[in-house]
Amino acid sequence: MKKTLRNILYTLTILLIATGLAFLFFHFVKDNTANIALIYILALILISRGTTGYLYGIFSSLFCVSFINACFTYPFFEINFALSGYPITFVCMLIITVTTSAMTTKLTRQDEIIAERERKLNEAEKERIRANLLRAISHDLRTPLTSIIGSSASYIENHSTLDSGEKLELIATINEDANWLLNMVENLLSVTRIQGDRQEVAKEPELVEEVVSEAIDRLEKRLPGASVNVSAPDDILMIPMDFLLIEQVLINLLENALVHSESSRPVELVITDDEHAVTFHVIDHGKGIPEVSLPNIFSGQYDSISSSDTRRGMGIGLSICRTIIQAHGGTITAQNHDSGAEFAFSLPKT
Amino acid sequence: MTTSNYTVLIIEDEKNISDFMSKALKSNDYRVITAVSGKAGLSLISSQCPDIILLDLGLPDMDGNDVITSVREWTSSPIIVISARTDERDKVTALDLGADDYITKPFGTPELLARIRASLRHSNRMDSNSALYIRPYQCQGLLLDFDKRMLTLNGEKIHLTQVEYKIVAFLARNSGKVMTYSAIMSNVWGPFTGDNNRILRVNMANIRRKIEQNPSKPQFIFTEVGVGYRMHEDENELP
Repeated sequence: MKKTLRNILYTLTILLIATGLAFLFFHFVKDNTANIALIYILALILISRGTTGYLYGIFSSLFCVSFINACFTYPFFEINFALSGYPITFVCMLIITVTTSAMTTKLTRQDEIIAERERKLNEAEKERIRANLLRAISHDLRTPLTSIIGSSASYIENHSTLDSGEKLELIATINEDANWLLNMVENLLSVTRIQGDRQEVAKEPELVEEVVSEAIDRLEKRLPGASVNVSAPDDILMIPMDFLLIEQVLINLLENALVHSESSRPVELVITDDEHAVTFHVIDHGKGIPEVSLPNIFSGQYDSISSSDTRRGMGIGLSICRTIIQAHGGTITAQNHDSGAEFAFSLPKT
Repeated sequence: MTTSNYTVLIIEDEKNISDFMSKALKSNDYRVITAVSGKAGLSLISSQCPDIILLDLGLPDMDGNDVITSVREWTSSPIIVISARTDERDKVTALDLGADDYITKPFGTPELLARIRASLRHSNRMDSNSALYIRPYQCQGLLLDFDKRMLTLNGEKIHLTQVEYKIVAFLARNSGKVMTYSAIMSNVWGPFTGDNNRILRVNMANIRRKIEQNPSKPQFIFTEVGVGYRMHEDENELP
């Protein structure tokens, strides 16, 4: 409906302009019907190009032919189809109109086909990423679930023969794996907080110390005995962020440092503050990151389920960290220092 | 504090979770009744008059918030809402409607018991208005004397501004319970202070710098994400 209206308006405007020009021409240069016909032919091409379908073009060419005949050829203001060469003008105008309209229609259709093909490719790509992610997650979830089912089943079957130490060990395994599953699920849930294709988050000004204390609190609940040293500037730092998402990033990085560094020395969380951003450094004193995996450490190698690290879902955790930080307009880096690894992410202050 | 007299009603449709809570509470000498739907819960509340209600917000038959509203029409029995971690808004709504506290899934037994204790304590205080805040608040070397309006940490006096004192005193009087930003603000600055809690949070940051050794690892005042603050339970009231 809207399209029809637009087509009609466009046609009328072009015809009006052409007629105006034609009258001007007619007024200043007498007896030059050829140029007037050219003006109208130009108008016809524009109309056929700019509207959809053949209707507007054909209507306009009929109008043009009659109008030229009536206004610009002798006898003026009378329709006289008996003029010599008139049928040829008419047929030519009609052919021009129809050909241009046909070309336009074809071009539009081709554009549509190309757009459709691109959309399908995009969707296939998204589908592929989603499938890979699902496969990786299912794999990661199955491992602890297997252990939970196995441990609990062996408890049920053998409860009369197991001693209390063994029972405690089975329950402890179940507890540990269930906690790991919980963190995994929370990681996945956190991704759903990042909205839509533009990957945006709802930011609120938050106190840095509050998000840090929450993250450490939750981490210590899950990994009893986890020890993290925090050093932060004394100033009150309030920066815009999604609290739960940044908390999740801190938990992932701290847990990574605690679990993978294979060191008993405490992990350090150092917060630095400059003019434009606040940076969180998670520093461990362990074996560091193998040089080969450094370049792709945040890309979440969902395709290659190979290393023993998949048990801990490190790949997914880090790639979620990167997604979250990028959605905040910040940056995240990983590097080795003299005696271990350092992950750092910064969040802009505005 | 003896708990043998207290009746707890659990309104929860997930049998496993309900069972786990019943077991934990029974082994701590509470009397437990359970309901699997909002309607059953409401009729149990009117027939059994439980001392405290644990309410899951995601019930099959009715919205948990509607349960809170209809319970609050005729009883002030404390309600503790059981909710998922990411729904800050739901928690605030439930608290605004009259819930006393919330606990986030998944939770452990100690956490559950602490919440129940704090809520029961405050509901009992409401009943007996006498000798209300006479006893000072005490926790890990932090002592708040409401009579003298004085806060000391390991015997050393801590200087708080008027506003800071009001905030700490309000949280200490309600220790162990979550206090929403809006509740704290209307108590400290009076009603109609608006929704912007920035001033409260800056004050809190300053308070932490005075009483906490490391504001990033607080011992006394904890942040409840998107909801408010919770002060550590008074040590005199721990079991």
